[in-house]
Amino acid sequence: MAIAERTAGTVSIPVVNVRPGWAGWLSTTDHKRIGIMYLVSAFVFFLIGGIEALLMRIQLGVPDNTFLTPDVYNQLFTMHGTTMIFLGLMPLNVGLGNYLVPLMIGARDMAFPRLNALSIWLFIFGGLMLYVSFFVGGAPNVGWFAYAPLTQKQYSPTAGVDYWIIGIGLTGVASIAGALNFIVTILNMRAPGMTLNRMPLFVWMQLVVAFILIFAFPVLTVATIQLLFDRHFGTRFFLPNLGGDVVLWQHLFWFFGHPEVYILILPTMGIISEVLPTFSRKPIFGYAFVAYSGVAIGFLGFLVWAHHMFAVGLGPLANAFFGAASFLVAVPTGVKIFNWLATMWQGSLNLTTAMHYAIGFISMFIIGGISGVTLASPPINVQQTDSYYVVAHMHYVLFGGAIQGIFAGIFYWFPKMTGRMLDERLGKWQFWLMLISFNLTFFPMHLSGNAGMPRRIYTYEADMGWNLWNLISTTGSLLLAVAFLLFLWNVVTSIRRGPIAPADPWDGATLEWAVSSPPPVYNFAVTPRVRSRRPLWDQKYPHLREINSGHGMSGAHNESEKRDGFEHETSPAMEPIHLPSPTYAPLIVSVGIMILGFGIIYLSDFGLIAASAMIVGLLIMAFGILSWVRISHVDSPHHAH
Amino acid sequence: MAGHSEEHSAHAHPSDRFYWIVAGVLAVVTALEIGLFIVNEQHLIAKWLEVTLLLILSTIKGAAVVMFFMHLKGDAGIFKFVFLVPLAFATTLLLSFMVLFSDHVGIAG
Amino acid sequence: MSESSMTRPPTAAAHHTSLGVDNRKLGVWTFIGSETMFFATLITTYFVFAPVNRARPDFQDPRKFLDIELTTVLASILLASSLTMVLALSASRRGDRRSFTTWLLATVGLGLAFIGGQVYEFNHLYHEGLTLSSSLFGTTFFVLTGFHGAHVAVGVIWLLSVFFKVRAYPDSPENAMDVEIAGLYWHFVDLVWVAIFVLVYLI
Repeated sequence: MAIAERTAGTVSIPVVNVRPGWAGWLSTTDHKRIGIMYLVSAFVFFLIGGIEALLMRIQLGVPDNTFLTPDVYNQLFTMHGTTMIFLGLMPLNVGLGNYLVPLMIGARDMAFPRLNALSIWLFIFGGLMLYVSFFVGGAPNVGWFAYAPLTQKQYSPTAGVDYWIIGIGLTGVASIAGALNFIVTILNMRAPGMTLNRMPLFVWMQLVVAFILIFAFPVLTVATIQLLFDRHFGTRFFLPNLGGDVVLWQHLFWFFGHPEVYILILPTMGIISEVLPTFSRKPIFGYAFVAYSGVAIGFLGFLVWAHHMFAVGLGPLANAFFGAASFLVAVPTGVKIFNWLATMWQGSLNLTTAMHYAIGFISMFIIGGISGVTLASPPINVQQTDSYYVVAHMHYVLFGGAIQGIFAGIFYWFPKMTGRMLDERLGKWQFWLMLISFNLTFFPMHLSGNAGMPRRIYTYEADMGWNLWNLISTTGSLLLAVAFLLFLWNVVTSIRRGPIAPADPWDGATLEWAVSSPPPVYNFAVTPRVRSRRPLWDQKYPHLREINSGHGMSGAHNESEKRDGFEHETSPAMEPIHLPSPTYAPLIVSVGIMILGFGIIYLSDFGLIAASAMIVGLLIMAFGILSWVRISHVDSPHHAH
Repeated sequence: MAGHSEEHSAHAHPSDRFYWIVAGVLAVVTALEIGLFIVNEQHLIAKWLEVTLLLILSTIKGAAVVMFFMHLKGDAGIFKFVFLVPLAFATTLLLSFMVLFSDHVGIAG
Repeated sequence: MSESSMTRPPTAAAHHTSLGVDNRKLGVWTFIGSETMFFATLITTYFVFAPVNRARPDFQDPRKFLDIELTTVLASILLASSLTMVLALSASRRGDRRSFTTWLLATVGLGLAFIGGQVYEFNHLYHEGLTLSSSLFGTTFFVLTGFHGAHVAVGVIWLLSVFFKVRAYPDSPENAMDVEIAGLYWHFVDLVWVAIFVLVYLI
């Protein structure tokens, strides 16, 4: 597609003031660069989380193993869970969203580019703070859910839990700021004609997730603040000997924690909903159902939190309610799965690596979904709670589901982001190796779990009957590591000498394929005008438009609109391209907040030094905010013209 | 919704006089609340009735602040959506936790 | 979110948004939605622990500690500050810089007075024996009202920054929106106090 280039001659292309080298990345406000920073840093954290898992699997490979000490083991499973959820899956999804959402809706950037930069820096610093804990007395060792009262000072005297609180706090602020940005961008920055019911489903799911985030995260924030006050300032929220309530922590945590699960999975469902139609060469089946079932999943996600707590003994009424509500989640999820299957049905399938991963997502997610339905039943749940069956379930959903979905997205959009194709052959090798080793690792956990093996034990005795399953799991996990090495090799070699990617390598239907690979810094030389859900297909295949806009739902309303899937705005008032300037202000503010965080952790132990650190942090923050205000004034469109 | 917002940007904002009237109503309602609180220290009416009345009065106050000072009344529908939906979630959170923790006075109780 | 919003004529292209509303205003309203959940969680915690506090040997009765007169003064201050805030916005929209300055600084002053009143209240309660660790009431009360006070402080800083920005760039067409979104946050903080006032102090 050479549309962008062809029409570019009619408008003034801005001279973009990008600083060279590292400075360009540190001061960037470009959503595409920030998206790449999210993806790279999240992938690094993801690999670290994987290594932690590998160490645990080595420890559990044989009974009575002494490879890890119990305390190190506790630190590893805590950091593995926390890393994968907050520093791996979530930011991988955010990274893809950051890169793609503006492109998909025909915008030049996110609504708040500087806030976007603040999000990435707070995320990176939050992640680093979590990992600093390893070097200052030990990482948190209380599980990613940090149940009280184990988290209290008398049981967890090291600063690990404090680093967990502050680290999660920083990434939480980053997430809320990011979610605000997504909401405003998606609702308010769409190109003309890009109505909500013409938006790509990936954008729909990012919107739903952003709303879940801003509703759910404040609850976690409050709970962790209360925990911090318990540990340092004498309160007793979660101290049962003084009237505090440990079950309250569980309720607050899971009121956040269950929606969090959908924060992880919904964006990948959006990815699948983009990849499947492209490679089935058919429009998505039941667009509205896929979109609104995502909304339904997001809503139901707030009504099921106590199914993580059936073993607490909430009483029959609460158990029945939360059990029934949890069963309900299967309905919109099933709707999505049938829509995906119907999308592939009678399609002319193009089995690329991305498509392999998309199909892998569906099949593994179904297994995880079904074990999830069994766990939604309180009596069954009480049997299997805290057993390896739960570990198997969550990894089928979050690894077999979310990670495979993210790989589908990476193989699909890598050419767009880098201008190079990934090696498809190597990708398929990776897919099959990953699928087999994933099942080798996690399927036996269903069996060891049903045989009674509890989670979070650092070793077990030889006569429990769990030896074989654990050995298979460990073997599988080592093979999984090989699959990831294949992927790294693929990325490193393809970036250097992979085939040059055309603008539209997969014959895509959405707007990101209308611009070059990688896109120019301003995305669209002229803002596109959208006429249907599949603007590019309608333009490339006008004779198929009637079929494409089938199922009686799409947007072409009158004759003039049917002429073309999309066209570029040709109104007389051709707007000049306005891009935000690079600035270090968000980075400076984030550094200030991080120093403030260190101060809070040590405030009760080293009062004066910590307080001075907090003041330094606040001053740095204030300086950053001042330069932020200045640049945003200078940068505003009113000022420029 | 969109038509609404365009209309909004066109029509005139309320006068200062109107804001003073709203503030006057808020002051009266607050006085009623405090009056009710003080008078009922002698337990003239049942506690549940007092609580109900206080909640109604506060709801009036809150609604006035949101509708007139924050101009949510007559403003674009999306603002109502992003405020009222979380408000509904927040109310659900409060009520469901009060149900879940009823008859429950912790280990010390 | 209707179709019609997408077919607006492309006038004022630089300001065009899909929903016809300002980005920052939408962002602040969404943020207020998120803050609603934040305070709802704190208030929920207060209510979960209220009966537990009553049943414990170290029970401290909120009615004995909280002073209705001081509370009334605090509530009135914040309500009055909402009035001055909206008058400042109104003046800013009219371009009446003089009364804008008056009303905005009045709002800042009332905000500072509220913080001062709360510092006095906390100090008083502390000397009466109510602390973060004296009882469940102390724990929940100070964390809830303390975080509200912190929000008032942030609001004061926000308002001051708007004041200095408008003074530095008196002709910026964004001034009215700067005032409006700072005002939205300020009214929200007042709104939270309306809730805390009745739920904690009166009931």
